[in-house]
Amino acid sequence: MFDWIVKYVGFLKHVPLLPHVFDAWLKVTSLLHNRNLIDYIDEIETEVRLWPGTSVQAHKFGGIQFNKDNRELGHIHGNGLLDILLSRRQKNELMKKYPVQDHHVFKNSGWISYWIKTAEDSKTAVSLLNHVYNLRSFAAEDDSGRKLF
Amino acid sequence: MPCMIEYSTSHITLAYSLTSNVMAASAKQSRILYGILMANLVSLVLVGGSKYLATYLEGENAGSSSGVFIFSAFVIVPLLMGAISAWYWHPLQMKTKHYIGWSVVTTLIACAASFLFLKEGVICLIIVLPLILCFTIAGALLARMLYNRKNNTLNSSVAGLAILVLVVDTFSSHKNLQLVSDTLIVNAPIEKVWPHVVEYKPITLKEEYWLFQIGMPSPVQSTVDGYEAGAGRKCIFSNGYVFDEKMIVYKPNEELTFDIISQPHDPEIMGHIDIVRGQFLLKDNGDGTTTVIGNSWYKLYVFPGWYFNLWSESITRNVHLRVMEHIKILSESHV
Repeated sequence: MFDWIVKYVGFLKHVPLLPHVFDAWLKVTSLLHNRNLIDYIDEIETEVRLWPGTSVQAHKFGGIQFNKDNRELGHIHGNGLLDILLSRRQKNELMKKYPVQDHHVFKNSGWISYWIKTAEDSKTAVSLLNHVYNLRSFAAEDDSGRKLF
Repeated sequence: MPCMIEYSTSHITLAYSLTSNVMAASAKQSRILYGILMANLVSLVLVGGSKYLATYLEGENAGSSSGVFIFSAFVIVPLLMGAISAWYWHPLQMKTKHYIGWSVVTTLIACAASFLFLKEGVICLIIVLPLILCFTIAGALLARMLYNRKNNTLNSSVAGLAILVLVVDTFSSHKNLQLVSDTLIVNAPIEKVWPHVVEYKPITLKEEYWLFQIGMPSPVQSTVDGYEAGAGRKCIFSNGYVFDEKMIVYKPNEELTFDIISQPHDPEIMGHIDIVRGQFLLKDNGDGTTTVIGNSWYKLYVFPGWYFNLWSESITRNVHLRVMEHIKILSESHV
């Protein structure tokens, strides 16, 4: 259903507020089909908020978006689909270590998708977000080091 | 003696701890309750006010409807309801599932209030429930994120924008005239079909459409005062409601067009929709069969049109099909 909507009526995501209403509907259906999923997403949010420099906001196309220093780390849709943006090289490396897949829409991009369904999946999701968080932190340190010398 | 003091101290600590817990639980319940009540209070004022204003501004265009329900009443107001509830709930650090659960409660109370104070019908509320439920939940979840960001400028901007849309929508023109058309092939010559198009005996077919099954009035019988243009026609519904019609085109074996001159004031649908005109067109297929086309024009007074048209089209279509299936059975039984 989600794939069908994204494929055929995905253009409606540009209508203001509609993606958020759709995401609310996804959360309600998740609550009916996998009661714990919404709790897993809450737990991931609580965990990520603890990391220095992170913030949480509504994703422009629905869902919850995690940022580090106001730059997106990734976002989770109401049906438990985690999307993370990486470089192509980082994506290939991550795909060797984690059971992640190409992005559900932009297959040939740096985006990856990961389905959260169980408690174990939510731990993996935190690891994935932490991995990107660390990559960003190292990159930021690298940048500041270059500026110093 | 020290032992007694220690014993009393532990009792006091326990009592204090229990009292604190009870007070904290009570404060939490109060905040949840305030969230529900304030959201409903504000929505009642906004919906009642915008309905009154929109109806007043539409003037004669409002027809026989009990009032225009603008797009904002079902979209912006539920979003604001969710945001108002979240304002009270967000310090409680509730889980998402609790936000959803309490938003459902808020929406159901809003529906009950609409039933009691705005005299809305049950079927009408069933139709509107999915729409306002989605927007109330979305409003609460979005607002929770906004409040957690502690950005008052952003919060004020979003609230201001929502109120602006509400005001602009209230003062905008609301007209929505729609046509629903259905076609059915009857295995009978045109002269056998025509008499049953003009007037027909009571429909005894089993109700198949789910809204008819749960109590929405369905068409039962049609009678006429005469067989010419200008004559009166009555369409009688299952709960005894009568639509008074006037035939404006009467061309035997070809066309019957009638204007609806008065319709019952039923809280379910009739307050929000005016059926303006009905029409039957007959075409001889040349092989002993007849094509019957049923057309209905209606004005809708509830918005957003894209949502309510889905329902009104479905209802009108099922009214058509029930009548046309009946005409088919009557016509084919006389062949």
